[in-house]
Amino acid sequence: MFNALTSEELLVGVGRVLRMAAAADGALEDYQRSQILSAYSVTRLLAAEHAAAAELLAWLRAELDAVLDDDRRELVLDARARVEAARTGVEVGDALVDLLAALPREDPRRAGVHRVLRELIDREVAALARTPSMRSAAVRSRSAPS
Amino acid sequence: MARSSEEQIDAAKADALLATMRAAGSADASSRVTYLEQLEGGWSRHSYAARVDHGDGEGERAYILRARPAGSLLDTDLGEEFRTYALLVDAPLPTPGVHGFEPSGDTPFTGPFFVMDRLDGHAVNVWRRPDRDELARDWDGPRGVASDLVDNLVAIHAIDPLAASAAVTPRTFRETVDRWDGIYHEMALVADPVVEEAYAWIREREPDPVAPALVHGDYRIGNCLIDGGRVTGILDWELSSVGDPRFDLGYMALDYQAGKFTTPGSSLLNATADRAWFHERYARRSGRPVDPEVVRTYTALGALMLFAIMTTGVNVYAKGETTDVRMAWGRFALPGLRQDLARLMDW
Repeated sequence: MFNALTSEELLVGVGRVLRMAAAADGALEDYQRSQILSAYSVTRLLAAEHAAAAELLAWLRAELDAVLDDDRRELVLDARARVEAARTGVEVGDALVDLLAALPREDPRRAGVHRVLRELIDREVAALARTPSMRSAAVRSRSAPS
Repeated sequence: MARSSEEQIDAAKADALLATMRAAGSADASSRVTYLEQLEGGWSRHSYAARVDHGDGEGERAYILRARPAGSLLDTDLGEEFRTYALLVDAPLPTPGVHGFEPSGDTPFTGPFFVMDRLDGHAVNVWRRPDRDELARDWDGPRGVASDLVDNLVAIHAIDPLAASAAVTPRTFRETVDRWDGIYHEMALVADPVVEEAYAWIREREPDPVAPALVHGDYRIGNCLIDGGRVTGILDWELSSVGDPRFDLGYMALDYQAGKFTTPGSSLLNATADRAWFHERYARRSGRPVDPEVVRTYTALGALMLFAIMTTGVNVYAKGETTDVRMAWGRFALPGLRQDLARLMDW
């Protein structure tokens, strides 16, 4: 959710490895084989991440909104507005870093945000563990707006 | 691209290897390289397997060349790593002898390198189920690997810290936290609320100091070699320092180091031994008590260290300073490390 490197940047790297493999002359060295396996792993994990991204982001925004709902302090209102406007997990992460840095260490809101973050992480890790099937990818593709 | 049979060996690399060995007195004019291949693994070092025929009628001998390539993942000192191996040659530890260090960055290996013996044994990868099963069989049976993992750690921590300070940098708890905090914040491309909270949490938990010792810094079964049910080699000393030895205990207790990635790994510590058994044996043999709360602090610091290293990989990849796709892959290890941190902080 709070991850650097876009899909495009990752796919460029996978493509470079494919080109290297195609140009290989003879048996591959261990290092080259590890590059191919890592590239495969990137594609699987990226597909799993994509499959879950929209749902995770929506869940995170709703949970944060609920945790911060009745707090009228300016720093909390600002964070809620930024979370509401966020289009990516990285933007939510920016807002949360600023919020947690501004809240006093003993502020009870911190525990609520921590709880949401913990559940988010568990959901994200579980999503990465799932292997998207070709069929589910095709169904999502057909149902996506053109 | 292909495996390096004798006629395919990169002549410039072979010449550089032999020149360094000759300067160290480990080769002579009749020595020739018969095999040279880059090995899998090595995130901030590149490792090459080499065989050299010294023309002495004793056949080929096997070596490993460790190079710090341009665009290396971490700015760690290869000279320190070489000096650490040299320090350990006479220690009661299974470490390789060393055969020369070339400090120049202008080499066919695109950076400085040193040469060491290739030890017998194979490395295990705890993220592969068959390897975890191999370790579980040792734990359920003879426990040779499990016992060696403890006893070698005790032996590392018994090295004279003054002598070790001549080889590697001494670091306090706070200096270690500052080091990884600094690297992380220099390299991070996005803000991460879990990591920020973890650094604040860990700074409030500075353990009472203990007598300093040589700290391996990346001690885990994956950095050991195994042969015949025993540990035959301890490698990858690039993160070693002189400091609090409990760092090694904490780091190897990470769930990640038991084979967890997106699914749980082994229930054994580092996929190798029962946690209480390991700590009890370590405490009894070292005379150093093991406080679970201090171990927890160092486990979190270990996670933050890995986070900083992976973040560095992502950074150098994003900037085009490496095409090594493993650096990009490291991005997918970060959610699991966040999960470990959240649990350690009792969120």
